[in-house]
Amino acid sequence: MAADLDEIRAMIESALPGASVEVVDETGSGDHLAATVAAPQFEGLSRIDQHRLVKAAVRERFEDGTIHALSVKTASLAS
Amino acid sequence: MADAELKQKVEELIAANPVLLFMKGTPEMPRCGFSMRVVQVLDTMDVEYGAVDVLQALQPLREVTAEISDWQTFPQLYVNGELLGGADIVEEMFDSGELAEALGVEQPDAAPEAATPAQAPPLQIE
Repeated sequence: MAADLDEIRAMIESALPGASVEVVDETGSGDHLAATVAAPQFEGLSRIDQHRLVKAAVRERFEDGTIHALSVKTASLAS
Repeated sequence: MADAELKQKVEELIAANPVLLFMKGTPEMPRCGFSMRVVQVLDTMDVEYGAVDVLQALQPLREVTAEISDWQTFPQLYVNGELLGGADIVEEMFDSGELAEALGVEQPDAAPEAATPAQAPPLQIE
């Protein structure tokens, strides 16, 4: 089942209020997505912790098999 | 629950190797495009690193790294005992110069060798 890109984006936005989020389907198969996220919550965090926040926001969709891969790019909004 | 003995071995490896890469395949023959990308980055840095082929015990190692670092996908690059990240983070940090800083080396002039499109070899079941 292909992921609903809007739903994935909404999940990240609701986990990280104020974030700017873009989600694209990398392969056209709907299960390998790429997210670009800029969030105020990232300020002062290492990249791995920034990625952990994004992955945690969509964990449910990994666990139910909707998405297999999510490549993440993060930026701190404040920087 | 991760296997306690394996977890201890992994913790010892991480402690003993200042730069340690958990990857699919070997640096000479990566078996996954993401692992290959990290190897290419590391090879452009003048740094020695240890490499563990996770395909020997993929699922048990996922369980171990989930407990140690809250991270289950490979590759994983550890520097001085801390998980730095997977392919995305390593490439981002390479581009920004943060990787050279973390490794304590000079930022190389050359970009990593252009990666061929990430594609698994045919007939490989994963």
